[in-house]
Amino acid sequence: MQKSTIQFLLINCFLAIVLVSCGSVTKNYTPKKLDKTSYQSRYFSDSKTDYVYKTNITVYGNELSGIFIAKKINDTIHRVVFTTEFGNKLLDFEISEKSFKVNSIVSELDRKILINTLKEDFRLLLKKEYLIQEQFENESDNIYKSADGKRDNYLFLSKKDQKFEKLIHASATKEKITLTFSSENNIFAERIQIVHQNIKLKIELNYFKQE
Amino acid sequence: MKTKIALLILFISGNLFAQEQKMTAAEIASFKEDVNVVSKKIKTLSTDFVQYKHLDFLSKDIETSGKMFFKEPSLLSWQYKKPYNYSIVFKNGKILINDEGKKSAVDIGNSKIFARINKLIVGSVSGNMFDDKEFTISYFKLKGQNLAKFVPKDATLKKYIKQIELTFDKEEATVVQVKLLESSEDYTRIVLKNKVINAKIDDSVFTN
Repeated sequence: MQKSTIQFLLINCFLAIVLVSCGSVTKNYTPKKLDKTSYQSRYFSDSKTDYVYKTNITVYGNELSGIFIAKKINDTIHRVVFTTEFGNKLLDFEISEKSFKVNSIVSELDRKILINTLKEDFRLLLKKEYLIQEQFENESDNIYKSADGKRDNYLFLSKKDQKFEKLIHASATKEKITLTFSSENNIFAERIQIVHQNIKLKIELNYFKQE
Repeated sequence: MKTKIALLILFISGNLFAQEQKMTAAEIASFKEDVNVVSKKIKTLSTDFVQYKHLDFLSKDIETSGKMFFKEPSLLSWQYKKPYNYSIVFKNGKILINDEGKKSAVDIGNSKIFARINKLIVGSVSGNMFDDKEFTISYFKLKGQNLAKFVPKDATLKKYIKQIELTFDKEEATVVQVKLLESSEDYTRIVLKNKVINAKIDDSVFTN
C-alpha cells in the first residue's frame, strides 16, 4: 500500500514537472488585440553605419573577448566579422535571412556546431522585419509574437517609450535564446546581450565610441 | 603633345619611384647594420601607439590606442586605453589578459603558433627580425624612411598573416609603423610614437 502511494506521488511529481516545463512561453502574459501586423527593427538597419562593439563571449565557463563588427552591405546581407583586440580576424561571415557564407574562420573555431549557433544568433540579432500574428502584454511591455520557421520570436516593446528591449526566440514550449537591447533612441543599440537557455553561452556586445 | 605625355609618364613613374624604391644590396647591408646597432642597445622601450584596423567594407578604420612596454629579453605589455581598457602581457611563456578588470591567463608554453607570434611582436617592435629564417624579406626606400616587407614561408602562419611591413625612421633606425596584412584588403596598422628607449620600466607594468 505504502509502496504504491510513493509511486503515485512520484508519478504525480513527475507529471507536475513535465506540465510545468511544457507550459507555454506566453503563460505569464495576457492576450491582447493586435495593434500592428508588422514591426521593423532599426538596430542594424543603416547601411552607412559601421556597427562596432567590444565583445565578451562566455561559453561553458570559458571567456573569449574581441571586437564584433557588422555592416549592412546590401538590401538583404550583413557582413559580420569578429576580431581579437589586436585586430586578427577570427571569423568573417556574410549573412541574410536566407543565405549564409563563411568568408573565413580560424581553424580553432571551425566547428559546425559553433558556426550554426552563431549563424542563428546573428540572424536574430540582425533581423529587421517581423510579421506579427499575436499580441500579449505584461506590466511593462507589449509583446508581439512573430513566427520564425518552426519557432517563434517574441518581441518586447516597452509601453513607456515603445523601445524594442527584448527578443525571445522560443519553441512552442521552451525559451531558447534571449536577446536584450539597451538603446537611447531605439535606432542604435549601445548594449546587447545574447543568452542561450539550453547551452551555456552568453554573448555581450558593448558599443565603443571612437574619437 | 607627345613630349608632354612623355614628360607626364616620366613624372608619374619618377613619383612612384620616389614613394617606394627597392634598395640595392649595399643599401640593404648598411640598413640592417644600422638597425642591428640600435636594437642591440635597446634594453627597455616604451611607446604610445595608435592602432587602425582596416576592413575593406567599413567606411572608417577602427581606431584604438594606448601604451606599449618592452623589456629585455622578452617581456612585453600592450595596454589599450581608448576606447576601452584592455591589456595583454607576454611573460615567461604565458599571456596575461586584463579586460576591464577581468583577468585571465593563457599558457602558450606548448603553443607553437603563439610562440611565433610572440617572437614576431617583440621582433617587430625592436626591429630585429632580419635574421628570421621564417620570412622572405624585401627592402625598400621611402622619403625619410625605410621599409622592410616580411612574407611568411610557413603555410600555417601564412593563414593568419599574409605579410608584415615594418617602417623605420631613417635617422633613428627604429620602427615607426607596423602593418600586418591579412589579405590584400584587410590589415592592421600600428603607428608608434613618443618612443622612449632605455628608461627604467617598473616590473609592475608586466604583472597585469
